[in-house]
Amino acid sequence: MVMKNPKLAQGTRRKLVPLQVLVPVVSTVIALGIGLLIIAATGASVVEAIEAFWDGMAGSDFNIGASINRAISLALVGLGFIFASRANLTNVGGEGQIAMGGMFATAAALHGAGGLPLGLAFIVPLAVGTVAGAVWGGLAGFLKAARGTNEVISTLLLSFIALPLVYWSVESFHLLRKPISDVSSLPESAEIPDTTKLPLLFPDNGSPLHIGLLIAAIAVVVVWLVLKHSTLGLRLRAVGLNATASRRAGMRTSFYVILAMTVSGGLGGLGGAIMILGQQFYLTSDFSSGYGFDGLVVGLLSRGSAVGVVIGALLFGFLRSGSINMEISAHVPSAVVLICQGLIVIVIAGSAILTNRKVTR
Amino acid sequence: MIDEQMAVFIGSGLRLAVPIIFAATGEMLSERAGVLNLSLDGMMLMSAFTAALASWATGSPLIGVAAGVLVATAVAGAQAVLSVTLRANQLVVGIGFNILALGSTTFLYREIFGPLSRDPIPGFAQLNLPWLAHIPVIGPALANQTGLAYVSILMVVVTWLILKYTSFGLAVRAVGEDPRAADKAGISVARTRYLGVLYAGILAGLGGAFMSVADSNTFTENMTKGAGYLAITAVIFGGWNPWYTLAACLLFGFATALQFLAPALQLDVPVALLLLLPYLLALVAIAGFVGKSRQPSALTIPFERGG
Repeated sequence: MVMKNPKLAQGTRRKLVPLQVLVPVVSTVIALGIGLLIIAATGASVVEAIEAFWDGMAGSDFNIGASINRAISLALVGLGFIFASRANLTNVGGEGQIAMGGMFATAAALHGAGGLPLGLAFIVPLAVGTVAGAVWGGLAGFLKAARGTNEVISTLLLSFIALPLVYWSVESFHLLRKPISDVSSLPESAEIPDTTKLPLLFPDNGSPLHIGLLIAAIAVVVVWLVLKHSTLGLRLRAVGLNATASRRAGMRTSFYVILAMTVSGGLGGLGGAIMILGQQFYLTSDFSSGYGFDGLVVGLLSRGSAVGVVIGALLFGFLRSGSINMEISAHVPSAVVLICQGLIVIVIAGSAILTNRKVTR
Repeated sequence: MIDEQMAVFIGSGLRLAVPIIFAATGEMLSERAGVLNLSLDGMMLMSAFTAALASWATGSPLIGVAAGVLVATAVAGAQAVLSVTLRANQLVVGIGFNILALGSTTFLYREIFGPLSRDPIPGFAQLNLPWLAHIPVIGPALANQTGLAYVSILMVVVTWLILKYTSFGLAVRAVGEDPRAADKAGISVARTRYLGVLYAGILAGLGGAFMSVADSNTFTENMTKGAGYLAITAVIFGGWNPWYTLAACLLFGFATALQFLAPALQLDVPVALLLLLPYLLALVAIAGFVGKSRQPSALTIPFERGG
């Protein structure tokens, strides 16, 4: 809908930039405040809870490293989200893409990649995981382009399909389940070979921080460049804004839809592969639990900006680590953080009317 | 032996279908008015928890259901404000509510019942209608259901009647297809859509409450396990028609129940693959069978007067 009143349009445009930043910040602060109120309402000591929270986030080199490692995967999923949303596609299937990426990376690491010369031993599983995620995302893109299937529904369903597949792979001995050594053997894969683990950045101080940080940093720059400063970014945007006009202008819109979802899924798959190769080292059926939603929220919060993704990913990486420790030490359920996240998403979506006067069709 | 297994399979298939039938039927009406509630799963989860809590506190499953429906309707009200008045992205808002519902029910459950509680809560008894039980094969499965299960079918009939024969139904269809024309004809788009979303909330509430106080007599964390998403898919699969949607729900229910039948038939199929079957069916269904044309034209598109 075109804004007819030029004065109003001008006024809106002037306000646009600060509000884009203000809304996510204010809603995050309010949501965290509500989280604190909830903790207080349970009768738990707020001070104790915050202490446990802080300790879990940043209490030691190990905890800081673990929080950043978490943020790395979230950032990749978030980047995938904004990449797809540039073409006006909403990829809510991060969870499934992480799951596929992690599962195939584990398979590659356990079967063959370990013996490769240094470097390739972890690069190949990372690549395999990325491709797996890309296929999973690309499938939704293909269905959208070929059949007009809403990508929100298809990516969600693909997640619900991916999770039992991971469960299946760690339940079955002929797939990835490690041989039973004693009665307490859990359904999980064997530990991946040491050569396939991501090298640590600071091996001396006990921090688990690994080179995934550099990979994520490169991804941030590349996505930023592509979205803001490339013809591809412009074309994705054009296809997203008006597919019919783009098609008339000679663009193969199907190609860009599939491409956007493939790249988006690939980033999620890479995030999943990094989770396994970086810190978890073996596959469990619920290794991806919650990461998809977190990554989605990170993508939403960033409002399409790669820098925003970095900030959001760090925020949620630290929040998650803190909330887990809060549950263990201060006995406050970590679900409080889910409540905060839900509120953030709702408030930001609801305030779109403030930042975006144009009704998107 | 096989007969007995079949009866168990049919019985569990129906039980698993009931919550989806409730939710999908309400959602179908809301979507016909142009609003998609991805928050359906959250509404169901909130209702399942509230119903369990209220039933446990008062000893009356009926009060439980009422409380569950009330909470689900409140969530629907919030969804309506955001989708209709604030013209927010309906899908994103829905996901937000689902995260919120998962967080708040998990949190409250642990706070109130403790982390490991599996105490049964007062629930509805099965009706055991003798005249139904005499039907061969499906009879026992049909007869051994709670009253709420029959209500779900009743709601399909009611919803079909509303859509087809009432002026409200006409307004719903008009608003979903061409809100601008409906507006010019004097129909309030906002009011119709609010009522549509609230209707979806009431039915999702019944579906969620069925899970905790009629089906399992307990609440477990994230007990809907994506049933709301299945319901939305059933609406798409059913081509926004109440009867086809009902058929899709039954299909999903039986696909889920297959995991109980497979071991009895000594089929060596991994449970995990049976778990993903309903979702795979749903994906194939929406990708393969549903043309774009049958979707209400104004689905997920906010309406602004004037403009």
